[in-house]
Amino acid sequence: MATILSLQHLKKYFESQKAVDDISLSIEEGQIFGLLGPNGAGKTTLIRMITGIFYPDQGDIIFRGKKFDPVNDVGQIGYMPEERGLYKKMKVGEQALYLAQLKGLSHREAKEKIGVWFERFGMESWWNKKVEDLSKGMGQKLQFVTTVLHDPRLIILDEPFSGLDPVNSNLIKDEIYRLAANGATIIFSTHRMEQVEEICHHIALVNRGKKILDGTVSGVKEQFKENLFLVETEGPAALSAIERPFTVVEQTNSKLYIQLAEGQSRNQALRFLLDQQIGIVSFKEILPSLNDIFIKLVEGTPVSRSFETKKDLL
Amino acid sequence: MNKTWIIIKREYLTRVQKKTFILATLLLPVLYVGLIFGMGFIAENSRETLSIAVIDSSGYFSASVLEKQNRLDSSSILTLVNNKSQAQLNEKEGGYEGYLIIPALDWKSGLDSLPLHTYKSYGSATTAAVEAKINRIWSEVVNDSLQIDLGKQLILTQSRIGIKAKNVIDEKSDSDTAEGIGYVAGLLMYFILLVYGSQVMMGVMEEKTNRIAEVIVSSVRPFQMMLGKIIGIGAVALTQFLLWIAFILVAYNVAKEAGTQMGAAEMVGNMQRLFTKVDVPLILFCFGFYFLAGFFFYASLYGAVGSAVNEDIREAQSLSFPITMLVILSIAMMTASIANPSGPIAVWGSLLPFSSPIVMMARIPYGVPGTVPWWQLLASMAILVLSFIAMVWLAGKIYRTGILMYGKKITWGEMLKWIVRKN
Repeated sequence: MATILSLQHLKKYFESQKAVDDISLSIEEGQIFGLLGPNGAGKTTLIRMITGIFYPDQGDIIFRGKKFDPVNDVGQIGYMPEERGLYKKMKVGEQALYLAQLKGLSHREAKEKIGVWFERFGMESWWNKKVEDLSKGMGQKLQFVTTVLHDPRLIILDEPFSGLDPVNSNLIKDEIYRLAANGATIIFSTHRMEQVEEICHHIALVNRGKKILDGTVSGVKEQFKENLFLVETEGPAALSAIERPFTVVEQTNSKLYIQLAEGQSRNQALRFLLDQQIGIVSFKEILPSLNDIFIKLVEGTPVSRSFETKKDLL
Repeated sequence: MNKTWIIIKREYLTRVQKKTFILATLLLPVLYVGLIFGMGFIAENSRETLSIAVIDSSGYFSASVLEKQNRLDSSSILTLVNNKSQAQLNEKEGGYEGYLIIPALDWKSGLDSLPLHTYKSYGSATTAAVEAKINRIWSEVVNDSLQIDLGKQLILTQSRIGIKAKNVIDEKSDSDTAEGIGYVAGLLMYFILLVYGSQVMMGVMEEKTNRIAEVIVSSVRPFQMMLGKIIGIGAVALTQFLLWIAFILVAYNVAKEAGTQMGAAEMVGNMQRLFTKVDVPLILFCFGFYFLAGFFFYASLYGAVGSAVNEDIREAQSLSFPITMLVILSIAMMTASIANPSGPIAVWGSLLPFSSPIVMMARIPYGVPGTVPWWQLLASMAILVLSFIAMVWLAGKIYRTGILMYGKKITWGEMLKWIVRKN
């Protein structure tokens, strides 16, 4: 598959800090890409460069094979910022029309597409409602529609599920899958790991302005696995005190958590258990959650940074 | 530029379609006229007719003389009560509102201050009516004593030499009319700059508090966003003024049609005289120019401030205070310029870009090139245009940074830093 976006040694320094400090990334077309990092890691600054809001101090952004041109390429990008909102006094339909036209659609095109999207989300009757009369969830749905209305090739969603109830969360999630299946690329920025694990193919972890991890979700998990296995047994397993090819991390009634020693294979462990006459129900590897990996990698870095950035976002 | 146009359209249409805009446009002229007539009406009705008792020791204020004057002028009633004492009058005997005790008088000197004793306090318009009546009687006494007959009296009151300023370079300039038009033009400009300038500020703040700013700047450049807002609101202001001018023209023509009716005829006559005295096309052209250029100058300043503040309206007020002071300073300079339209304050005030829209507009009715030489007018315009371009550009730099910044209190010093910063 073709690379839709490639960042090459991007740098953006602000007075008080290096917000983005030499980050290179490559994102394939049709991917759902998770951009992770703690608050103040530089995610927002990175995204603002990709959306043409900021110019990088150094480095290049290659968008669909050419150098990124903020003025003309923004029509192919849909961005839903974390700090998002709509004109409260404006009618829903006019608002959608306005934002679509700013993305370069003609009045007629915009109206057609709004019709399709409003129908899909069951919003047809909202056209003449004012935004301030919508509930929070309805507002978020409208915000999402205005982000993807112009069929962008690249969709960037910054914390898209914050403030959404489970029903609407699922609705948006399904849309994300559908859009990716239709060929759009999605960058999904968050610090909520469970969502990333569920949705993304690829992730990159950013901390203190630098990329510290990059790869597929399964690849990253493989990389950080600790050879942990869960063995379910028929009744409590009585292990003899003789030398074992693994260490027991935890043992409950019928569950046995074991960690293989260096150089030991699964089969050796299984054989040992079988030799002990233990009835095995299941044998499963436990991969670390992204959350664990995230905490492990980010832990120990100064927390003060997140305050520093809050105060001085630019 | 196409996107700027879309923004202009939204800014313009959402404002013009608002009920408050339509109401303000219709009601303000009505209120204005109402205020003028209302004030006249109140002034007319606040004067009271006093019934005053007179104890006369001079012999000049006889019952027949007072009666004759009461018939000529009923704004106060004077009654001779020589049979009453001051003590009785102090007890409010006879139902008068006050009394005068006129001592023996010499007709050559009169009296400096004759006390008017009243039981309540009255306004100056009310007591002036009594004073006027007493003096009319006294003039007759003096005229009779000097043996001046009615013919000579007329000559005395009417024969005088008036002085009227006439500018030799510019024949049209008429300082009285110019003063009136100058004041109105200057104050209108002041009104536009403050009201519509702060509308730009409020609009920018709205985008920030609604958190739509970042959504928009991912589609258009921040500069386009700011420019679109300024032009859109400027167009709203222009629309409102064109509508008001249309009202005036309609009212003028209606009044001209019904010209025979009293009052209206006088008004039409006044307007026609006014048009012959000043250069109306030039004033209108300059008004349009200074209106637009001045608006751009101040609106970009207000826009920059709006982008730098957070939700807090008080923060906006304190940050926009220096701008408001510039406008108020301009009004002070305007007053000085009308008093002396060729003086140094007038000249400097009409060259400096922050004050020229107001000061120059107040001077132009005095005549170009009579009072305002052509070079001054052209220099003032050129300086203002260059300044507003520079101001829009600088404001754009502040705007770009400010619009995406939340939670931090910004000072003017910091905003200046954003301008100087690279990128």
